[in-house]
Amino acid sequence: MKTLKYIWRNVARNKLRTMLTVLSVGFSLALMTVLHGYMVMQSVWGRDADKHNRVVVMNIQGFSGALPIANVDDVRAIENVIDAVPFSWYGGTYEDQPMAFAQFATDADHAFRVWDDYKIDPDELRAWQENRQGCVADRRLAERKGWKVGDRIPLKGTFLAFDLDLQLCGLYDAPQYTDSIWFHWEYLNEGLKQANAFGVDNSGTIYAKVTSASQIPLVIEAIDARFASSQNPTRTQTEAAFVQMFTDMLGNIQAYIRNIGLAVVFSLSLVAANAMAMSMRERTTEIAVLKAIGFPRGHVLRMILGEACLIALFGGLLGIGLGCAFLEALHSVNTQIFPFGLADLAGPWLLVMLGAAAGIGLVSGIVPGIRAAQLSVVDGLRRVV
Amino acid sequence: MSEPVVVIRDLHKEFRRDAIRIPVLSGMNLEMAEGDFLSLMGPSGSGKSTLLNLIAGLDKPTSGTVIVVGEDLSDLTEGELAQWRSRYIGFVFQLYNLIPVLTAYENVELPLTLTGLSRRERDQQVKTALDVVGLADRMDHFPRQLSGGQEQRVAIARAIATDPTLLVADEPTGDLDAQSAGEILDLMQRLNSEFGKTIIMVTHDPHAAERASRQLHLEKGVLVDDVSVTATNQEQP
Ligand SMILES: Nc1ncnc2c1ncn2[C@@H]1O[C@H](COP(=O)(O)OP(=O)(O)O)[C@@H](O)[C@H]1O
Ligand SMILES: [Mg+2]
Repeated sequence: MKTLKYIWRNVARNKLRTMLTVLSVGFSLALMTVLHGYMVMQSVWGRDADKHNRVVVMNIQGFSGALPIANVDDVRAIENVIDAVPFSWYGGTYEDQPMAFAQFATDADHAFRVWDDYKIDPDELRAWQENRQGCVADRRLAERKGWKVGDRIPLKGTFLAFDLDLQLCGLYDAPQYTDSIWFHWEYLNEGLKQANAFGVDNSGTIYAKVTSASQIPLVIEAIDARFASSQNPTRTQTEAAFVQMFTDMLGNIQAYIRNIGLAVVFSLSLVAANAMAMSMRERTTEIAVLKAIGFPRGHVLRMILGEACLIALFGGLLGIGLGCAFLEALHSVNTQIFPFGLADLAGPWLLVMLGAAAGIGLVSGIVPGIRAAQLSVVDGLRRVV
Repeated sequence: MSEPVVVIRDLHKEFRRDAIRIPVLSGMNLEMAEGDFLSLMGPSGSGKSTLLNLIAGLDKPTSGTVIVVGEDLSDLTEGELAQWRSRYIGFVFQLYNLIPVLTAYENVELPLTLTGLSRRERDQQVKTALDVVGLADRMDHFPRQLSGGQEQRVAIARAIATDPTLLVADEPTGDLDAQSAGEILDLMQRLNSEFGKTIIMVTHDPHAAERASRQLHLEKGVLVDDVSVTATNQEQP
């Protein structure tokens, strides 16, 4: 079509300016795509949490409340519970890095019965069980850190006043990347007891393995009933619901990221609008000529909106391309740390990005477009005469 | 005789700059018959362009009547005026004002895209118009690849592509060397005599003005006929 060709020639007219606009739209939408990928990754992590018939017990007041270690035996005694372990977050600092990975205090004799989907060499498991300061690590974490079995892993306590001097006894394989090491709850507890520190005899949370999915509601009810009248009533939920709790917290971050993203998109619209306004100022006479010849206002407006949208759309395509290429590269470098490919990202997100691009185009084109449409032909022509 | 192409009665036009009123046309009368070729001279700032704008429906008079091709322009909305211009008026500007990103062919085709013509019909008319101005062999050139005289001929082709009734030319030779200007004037004369176009042309050059069948001077807001003081102007009360 004739008008499309004209729009296209206008886009290609000031190549540097068009390219800069395309790049700025492209890079920020690429950033949005990567952030989105990160959020998808979070949700992928909890994806199979309901497959393994595990429940998580915590104090009804949340993580700040105590869960006595004696409760673990009580949970094990409940019907249809296969096994249960304490599972306590240590949150220590490794080589001056806080939160370098997750560390949990648990029970070496029972842990791999609760996480029966995790694989560990029996000899390594025995070595851990026999070494009071021993620990096991997710194999991918060990690879990432370059640990070998036998290495020492010193951890400094942050909110717990006891430093750990751990020795790596074995590596386990989990279906999904856990980014964790496990050590003896007893080792930590004795240290805390000797230091007379806060947190003694606390199991943190209790993970329990249930015989079958259909038994889970009854087990949850039984556990919470068992402790209802104790000093520390509990709140038990499925592992999936527990993960969801964290995802919900992340949800706030997601909303935050989304709002920042919207702000970025909006400010970009202004950048693009400025570029469009510059183009229009340079073309004032030309627009006046079009209108003199008989181009109606709507036609002029549509042409300019079309130009702005075309530029923004190129930016959008570039952004999606760059963002996806980046995520795909992460994915191919390490499928475990980055457990998803484009398939997890596709569909609606591409539409959202294209929509954002179109939005940037419309917002950036509307003011210059309306001004051009309303330009007085006489004034526009007088500028050259 | 068919009805006149342009009828102007008691036309006043003034501009306002803040509180100051600048009267440009004050009680002007004019009639142009079909097939007239009128040249308009006058000192710079006397209101020649203003008059052309009013005739072409680009501007509104302060008072008075402007009837062009049988249409009282004050009756038309801006949208209607745009459509009306695309049908009846062809523009030629001093600085050609071709669209730089479009080829000669595409520039000439531009006004035709506003009509309901098919691609083939448009093609036919573009080629005819370029033939008339003698630039059929340059149709794929961009304006920057053409000389000033050639650009102006493309601009004329663009103005006549839709076969308008009235050609409005504001100093079409003002920016050209003598030879190119001569060619443009030849072309204007041919459009008038051979194709029967009614033309109103502003010029500073008395030789150019002589090409027209009628010469007028704009002075102090009213028209003065060069050849003989016309009845139109004497009619004024
Ligand atoms: N849009 C406008 N606003 C204010 N003054 C104007 C405008 N257009 C024209 N004028 C004034 O009207 C007078 C006539 O202008 P113009 O018609 O362009 O003259 P010419 O074409 O004869 O040189 C000039 O004094 C000019 O300054
Ligand atoms: Mg002028």
